[in-house]
Amino acid sequence: MATVVTGDRIHAPGVAPRRSRPGRRLALRNTLIGWTFILPNFVGFALLTLVPVVTLFYMSFTSWNVFGTAPWVGLDNYTRLLSDKSFHTALLNTLYYAVVHIPVTLVASLALALWLNRKMRGVAFFRTVAFFPYITSIVAIAVVWNMLFSPKYGPINQFLGLLGVENGPGWTTSATWSMPAVLIVGTWREMGYYMLLFLAGLQTVPAELHEAARVDGAGPWQRFWNVTIPCLRPTTFFVTVMLTIGSFKVFDLILVMTNGGPGQSTLVLSQYIFQKGFGEFQFGYASAISVVLFLICILVTIFQFLWNKRREA
Amino acid sequence: MKRNTSAAIGLAAVAAMALTACSGGGDDDSTGGGATEAAGPVTLTVSGWSLKTTPEFQTLADAFHAKDPNVTIELKEYDPAQYTTLITADLAAGTAPDIVTQKEVKNVSVFQTGGQLMDVSDVVSKLSKDVNGTSSYEIDGKYYGVPYRQDSWMLFYNKDLFDKAGVAYPDGSWTWDDYAQAARDLTTGLKAAGSDALGTYQHSWQSTLQGFASAQTPDADILSGDFEYFAPYYDRVLKLVADGAQVDQGTITTNTLTYQAQFGKQKAAMMPMGSWYVATLIAQAKSGDADTFSWGFAPAPQLDKSTTGTDKTPVTFGDPTAFAINANIDKDKVAAAKEFLAFAASEEAGQALAKIGITPATTTDAVAQTYFAVDGAPTDDLSKFAWTTHKTNPENPTSSKTAATQTILNDMHTAIMTGSTPVDQAIKDAQDRFKSEVGS
Repeated sequence: MATVVTGDRIHAPGVAPRRSRPGRRLALRNTLIGWTFILPNFVGFALLTLVPVVTLFYMSFTSWNVFGTAPWVGLDNYTRLLSDKSFHTALLNTLYYAVVHIPVTLVASLALALWLNRKMRGVAFFRTVAFFPYITSIVAIAVVWNMLFSPKYGPINQFLGLLGVENGPGWTTSATWSMPAVLIVGTWREMGYYMLLFLAGLQTVPAELHEAARVDGAGPWQRFWNVTIPCLRPTTFFVTVMLTIGSFKVFDLILVMTNGGPGQSTLVLSQYIFQKGFGEFQFGYASAISVVLFLICILVTIFQFLWNKRREA
Repeated sequence: MKRNTSAAIGLAAVAAMALTACSGGGDDDSTGGGATEAAGPVTLTVSGWSLKTTPEFQTLADAFHAKDPNVTIELKEYDPAQYTTLITADLAAGTAPDIVTQKEVKNVSVFQTGGQLMDVSDVVSKLSKDVNGTSSYEIDGKYYGVPYRQDSWMLFYNKDLFDKAGVAYPDGSWTWDDYAQAARDLTTGLKAAGSDALGTYQHSWQSTLQGFASAQTPDADILSGDFEYFAPYYDRVLKLVADGAQVDQGTITTNTLTYQAQFGKQKAAMMPMGSWYVATLIAQAKSGDADTFSWGFAPAPQLDKSTTGTDKTPVTFGDPTAFAINANIDKDKVAAAKEFLAFAASEEAGQALAKIGITPATTTDAVAQTYFAVDGAPTDDLSKFAWTTHKTNPENPTSSKTAATQTILNDMHTAIMTGSTPVDQAIKDAQDRFKSEVGS
């Protein structure tokens, strides 16, 4: 049996059944060094993510209210969810947001990336402008957009007035239009970030493929569908997964823009969790809602992975 | 990907970590009965918020130290917007100050049932009868806090704008219908005089309307789940909006209007608001953030004539602010802490608070004299009557159901005020939600 310890064997020590003493020492040393490198990150992950997540699952079976013990209530929190109309409203609103936000942002960010992937004057400026909303304070965004959406004095309704729309929508003050208003701002804010990802993806599309397609007589539209889109599939998949998770856990934008209102018209699951937990100290129940949100996210993500794998095959 | 999916529940998860991993024992109330006299110098920590703009904490700390040099008060500052969350985390972690200021009455029962507050019934039993708001801290016959300030809502009015519109000042005899008519008359009169100020400004908070309705309607109780009594109050204000005498809710929220600017910059001739605004208006007039004009305050308009007039006691609402003792306080500090609580509710502390424009829990004639001697405070008799004579009902009943009920009522409020849902339907929806989410 060879005693040479390869890099592979250090990562999978089980494959080397017997080693000499110096070899084992070296393997142990390398393993320890490897652990040392990931330790700071792992400790942070364990303390800030792993332990809370495990605790969260336990808490969802209790009626914990922050102080003292957490009495075990079994599945009570989950059966309560079945008849909780506010939870149903929050779930439907979250689905509404996700179903519209994911495709619209995907298409908008891809279109933006394609437009800004050309050689034209000022492209760096326009890329920066498109990315700017993503790094701007969410509170500032909410305040400014709320003013733009003002039914009476806002520029948006004034513009609609010029187009002949006499009574513009109430936007954030209307139960019907508040979610579209939030969706507009959400898409506007995030498309710059996803544009960057698509721009990076576009750099990986081989120019030769476009060239070959052009020689074969393919027009721009055919090249887009048959060359660009297939080559962008890994990026599109990543963006879709990120967008899906981001949409299901949307929180801050809605909190500062509408606070879930008017009524419960923009109440989403994350906000409902916050309301029940920090507003009403029902942390056990809030944990159960968090678990449901977690399950939704993970199921949708697994479905997307399977779908992607099937298309790859 | 696992990291991403974990992040999907990040909010609740991080919260759970913050509040569980460091959860300290909170049930032990062993220090409750064992108050012993402190032997040497004692330092008490007290929670507060925005210390620079909320001088009441330092004022009370200094006054108490002057009275008892053996005790030093150390203030611990919190973010006012996150006060409840932060103090809850500190209590759960066992790192909260010795004296925990109760900013919101609706959370008292949560802290009490969680075993975080010491029973201070012995302090309350020795208080003067002039101290208002103690009942908000009573749970099962025991008291868990001692109020030091008791704001109540009044009607602020701009005398200059009243004169300009040719409308008579409030005289203490107003019902809400009289108030609404005055708002309409003011709007018309001001428009005729070339001013674009409106008759009144009712801020977008649910308290602005629901607080009065719950306090003034006989037998009204938000915990009954019957919210029909709000209807006339909503009908009235919606009519005021329709008549153009009051800004609509959409404009208030989308343009982030502040009540300080609306009244202080003379955009409205009247404004129902809590007594804390007196100190703010005086300060803003001095700093230039508010215009300089002649103003006063009248008793809040009443539901009907049975409580109007300066020979009656008008009914209004307001929640007190209190000091409570952390159940986990060092035994050696209990006596000093109780001494501080008793002092904060005394006439002497009331005088100190009145000097800086704060409405203390104790409003004796001497305190009132000090309050109205503040430079910039109104001096008319009706203002003095409004400040000293009223029955202040609590806005938030002390119950574990209050927070959830107020969430439902806030949703009802925004649905009605934005015109998204008709009054009757919104009330019915809220009652249905109360039944299923809060229960009787």
